[in-house]
Amino acid sequence: MHMMVLGVSLAFMALIAVTFILVARARPPRSDANRSEARRRQLIWAMVIFGVVVSVASLARWPHAVSAAPTEVVNVTGTQWYWEIDRTEVPQGVPVLFSAKTTDVTHGFGVVDEKGRILFQAQVIPGYENKVEYNFDEPGIYKVICLEFCGVAHHEMVNEFIVAAR
Amino acid sequence: MTAESDFGTVAAMRGVQERRDGAVRLAMLLGGTVFVLMMLLGLVMRLAQGGLVEIDAALFYRIMTAHGAGMVGTATLTGATILWFFTNRHVPLLAGVFWAFLGLFLLGVVFILAAIFVGGYGGAWTFLYPLPAMSGGFWQPSAAALFLLGYVSIGVGFLLLHLEVARKLIAAYGGIGGALAWPLAFGRGRPEDAPPAGVVAAMASTIFNVLGIVVGAAVLVASIVNLLVPGFTVDALLAKNMIYFFGHVFINAAIYMGVIAVYEIIPEYTGRPWKTTRAFAIAWTVIMLFTLSVYPHHLMQDLAMPAWTLVMGQLVSYFSGIPLIAVTAFSLLVYIRGADMRWDLASALLVLGVAGWSVGTVPAIIDGMIVVNKVMHNTQWVPGHFHTYLLLGEVAMAFGFMAWLTRAPAAQERPGAARLTGADRLLFLTYAVGGTGFVLVFLVAGALSVPRRWAVHATQWMPLAQAASVFAALVILAVTVFVLRYLSGLIRQRS
Repeated sequence: MHMMVLGVSLAFMALIAVTFILVARARPPRSDANRSEARRRQLIWAMVIFGVVVSVASLARWPHAVSAAPTEVVNVTGTQWYWEIDRTEVPQGVPVLFSAKTTDVTHGFGVVDEKGRILFQAQVIPGYENKVEYNFDEPGIYKVICLEFCGVAHHEMVNEFIVAAR
Repeated sequence: MTAESDFGTVAAMRGVQERRDGAVRLAMLLGGTVFVLMMLLGLVMRLAQGGLVEIDAALFYRIMTAHGAGMVGTATLTGATILWFFTNRHVPLLAGVFWAFLGLFLLGVVFILAAIFVGGYGGAWTFLYPLPAMSGGFWQPSAAALFLLGYVSIGVGFLLLHLEVARKLIAAYGGIGGALAWPLAFGRGRPEDAPPAGVVAAMASTIFNVLGIVVGAAVLVASIVNLLVPGFTVDALLAKNMIYFFGHVFINAAIYMGVIAVYEIIPEYTGRPWKTTRAFAIAWTVIMLFTLSVYPHHLMQDLAMPAWTLVMGQLVSYFSGIPLIAVTAFSLLVYIRGADMRWDLASALLVLGVAGWSVGTVPAIIDGMIVVNKVMHNTQWVPGHFHTYLLLGEVAMAFGFMAWLTRAPAAQERPGAARLTGADRLLFLTYAVGGTGFVLVFLVAGALSVPRRWAVHATQWMPLAQAASVFAALVILAVTVFVLRYLSGLIRQRS
């Protein structure tokens, strides 16, 4: 997903940038007000239709959905500047519910795989129980990092857990 | 009236205008200088993340706080100055209000710098409640309170400026709806009777920035009371909503005010006025509503938020791109294509500003999708997209405005005489290439899951920060020359 996001972004960014460069360098000047307005309408409709399609597709399955009766639950507590995790091991291939709380400020509960890719995250807001669910495809050692600036040792707030093969 | 008294009247009016413009020129000089200083702080952070200089984490986060607050404040200062300058062309504004705005801004800057570099405050420009009161012993509550009071001072200055602008626009154009060109938007008016494009943008920006600042003031005061009376607490999620509503609106207002320079200046180079069409009028009302409702896209990983707010954040985030791309950017391209466009540094930077803003919306919109945000939020993807539409957007517009204010006398008399010299071309390319490289490194780092706001980077991430440092140095070189050129232009104009 990460590299696809980068690729799609760079493609659209390049499209806009090249359009500006071509128009700025175009000679001789050309203008047709009626044609321009028709193209503007086409552009607006194209953007609306594209937006509706992408929005429906990306929201059809709610990205923050959690199971009503989860079997695997991990309680996580963030404190300046460490994570406490009540389990060191979770199973591969089943939904795992992480219930994250904080004892002080807002933290960002982020889980990173062995390749260093962020898999998911949740803001850990004081006074709230913040629940996020994930199904691990691969066994291995996963890191927990802080993804919300929380003070002077924010970058040192690291812990880990194991996803055991089934 | 004799020719001599005519001349005297014109000279007196020009004197009044120059005194009014003097404050604007001073504000832009301050803005340009602070941009350079804040970029130097940004370079220090990238050098530290690249392992090329060593600074301790507490100092890093103080620098990060100063860089964030300084850049947001200065972007909005330059945007508001552009708004003031061009609104003053259409309705006379009280010059004293601008001086008060500038004075309160500088007072706020003094408070903020003292809080950070004397008091040790390093809680980021977002002052996310309750972090200012819970530093883990790294700063005192008094330092945090001073930082927040600095924001209050700056906010009061902006409120004064916007209220003066709103008061005069409402009086001159028959109410808020008149200044927003609503008769035209709702199909009851004619384009020739509508206010100028710059006025519509000024009215809309004023409305949403006032609302943003009022909400910001409420959460600032609550945070200050919490610092002084720890027993007084606020719901952290409510405070976060208020902070991000304020922060989002405030920084977006900077860009929306900055684009007024494009509407007002580019016609001098194309020879065609930027018309207030029906599409333009509708677009600005939509922009106003979207700017006020899109902020939940900053809270997409706040799982306690009602789901509908996050859906709204995603949808509005995407659809906000339409008025920008299909109205402002599209119209600019049509105007340029239909004209024998004369390029100089001012016009090149203003067009770059709209291009950079438009390009920057792409990674921002994609990050505004909940499913993407789950892996990209608070990685370097985020500074990647906001630096694109600020560094290559608002900041380019601000420097374009400064170049236009101090353009050569021949270009002032006859815009067709404008020329992009070889030196200007090199300067422009240095800025554009440096800026592009700088933001692309952030985006690549985001895709590689490099977190934002980390004082210390893993060894494998360091080459990215090192490359970013080179691009940052190019940008700083270019903007230093922009400011020196502007200063020499001011001196030339005075003499």
